[in-house]
Amino acid sequence: MERNKHVGIGFRKDFAEEFLEGKDLTPAFLEVAPENWMEIGGYWKKVFNKIAAQYPIYTHGLSLSIGTPDELDWDFLKKVKYFLNEHNVQIYSEHLSYSKCDNAHLYDLLPIPFRWDAVKHISQRIKSVQDFLERKIAIEIVSYYTPVAAEMSEVEFISSIVKEADCNLLLDVNNIYVNAFNHNYDSKEFIEKLPLDKVEYIHMAGHEQVAPDLIIDTHGEPIIDPVYELFEFTAHKLPKTVPVLLERDFNIPELNELQYELNRLENICTKAWDYEHSLA
Amino acid sequence: MNTHLHNYTHTQQSRLADYCRTGDPPKIDGLTENRVHHYRRLIHGVIDDTLQSAFPLTCDLLSQEEWYGVVDAFLSNYKCQSTSIWKMPSEFYRFVEETGLEIKEKYIFLEDLLNFEWTEVEIYMMPDIAYPESKTDGGWLSEVIAVNPEYKILQLNYPVHLKNPKGITENDRGEYYVLLFREKESGKVRFMNLSVYFSWLIEKVEIENTPLIKILKEAAQVFGVNEKALFENTLPFLEELKANKFIPGFYI
Ligand SMILES: [Fe+2]
Repeated sequence: MERNKHVGIGFRKDFAEEFLEGKDLTPAFLEVAPENWMEIGGYWKKVFNKIAAQYPIYTHGLSLSIGTPDELDWDFLKKVKYFLNEHNVQIYSEHLSYSKCDNAHLYDLLPIPFRWDAVKHISQRIKSVQDFLERKIAIEIVSYYTPVAAEMSEVEFISSIVKEADCNLLLDVNNIYVNAFNHNYDSKEFIEKLPLDKVEYIHMAGHEQVAPDLIIDTHGEPIIDPVYELFEFTAHKLPKTVPVLLERDFNIPELNELQYELNRLENICTKAWDYEHSLA
Repeated sequence: MNTHLHNYTHTQQSRLADYCRTGDPPKIDGLTENRVHHYRRLIHGVIDDTLQSAFPLTCDLLSQEEWYGVVDAFLSNYKCQSTSIWKMPSEFYRFVEETGLEIKEKYIFLEDLLNFEWTEVEIYMMPDIAYPESKTDGGWLSEVIAVNPEYKILQLNYPVHLKNPKGITENDRGEYYVLLFREKESGKVRFMNLSVYFSWLIEKVEIENTPLIKILKEAAQVFGVNEKALFENTLPFLEELKANKFIPGFYI
């Protein structure tokens, strides 16, 4: 089967065989967290080398903790740089959140206070990281369940950082949907206010509603129709084509269901981009 | 470098992180209080899942309450340093080792069990180490034996590698050695119980780079046994290590 053109999927160990065969799933690329694949050896290193020779690899980091008050971890960044170069990785993305604080890693994504001093602090850190890695990074707007000591709007916070740090944006369309629902704003208006020319990468995922007024971003369900619609809306607004990732981390369905989601996303990309771009 | 962030913002961030680790009610401005518990729940879930998959025997041994108690104590008190989450269980092991926990009195072999389970994960995942250049055939006594460099020998007080942990008692206390190594082709981790002499021998063979005959001379002195008897005892062991690919052969 021919590979998708725009849409990739997160690499999963349980589907390693299928990815290597390339029959039942046809992603355009695979995404991994560098932290899970750097500094390893043995069986999974061999598998990963084969995978990386067969697919473009995009990365989505977990432990950089760009929004933390702590110092940057240069030793960690050295390892990331080595990994990105070793596998010719085209995109290094990370979360606009913090996962480490006061010298303790927490292994989840905490919301940063939307504050001006945080904008300055984080922009400076992103610049340092970009200088060190000699590439731009794409920061992801994360889903969050509570604001923390906010003094500005979320969209202002994000846009200011992207501008000041001169970095790229990873637009997770599901996260925007989740945040709009949880914090009562209009998702389309929010997207229109973002610096869309900086979007380098898109994430799509499912979520779970746990209360009448709360959605948790689980990556454990299929993408719902309103999120597909929001993606279509976004795709038409973007000035350029970008890779799109299907995220699915839990409650993994049959491969054909994942392929159905990949294809559905691919169709939206084709309609929005290939047609418009052939006219241009 | 931390010149832009104000103390106020730092404090809010610290309070949220502290709450996630300890569960103490956070005092954070503008917080949606009935939602913040999801962060603690999610973090606890990630840590718990990772530890359960690294320590299946330990998790099975402890009651649910005991397991959650120690996981909770770890999350609250220990500052995890691993940037790769698969390495975090080594810090859990260290935490249990360094901390006076009641549970260690009930399960006297708990540290050994965690050590053994973690070492299996570590050897399975660790970066490749280059093998010495070797040939398959050679003379056991006269040539230098090559060993698989991807191994570790643990010294344990309880036989957690030999017995179901549920059946281990104070009577089992002793000096145990276990060799864990990664098979080159399959990447699988194998383990073998060793006598004190064999654990000494493997480390000598690897470090000293000299023919076995010389090592046996030293062994005869250290262990007070005559060389010939030692060799007769050692040969089947070496053949076994070769058969299960811990010994690839002899240096070229
Ligand atoms: Fe995402």
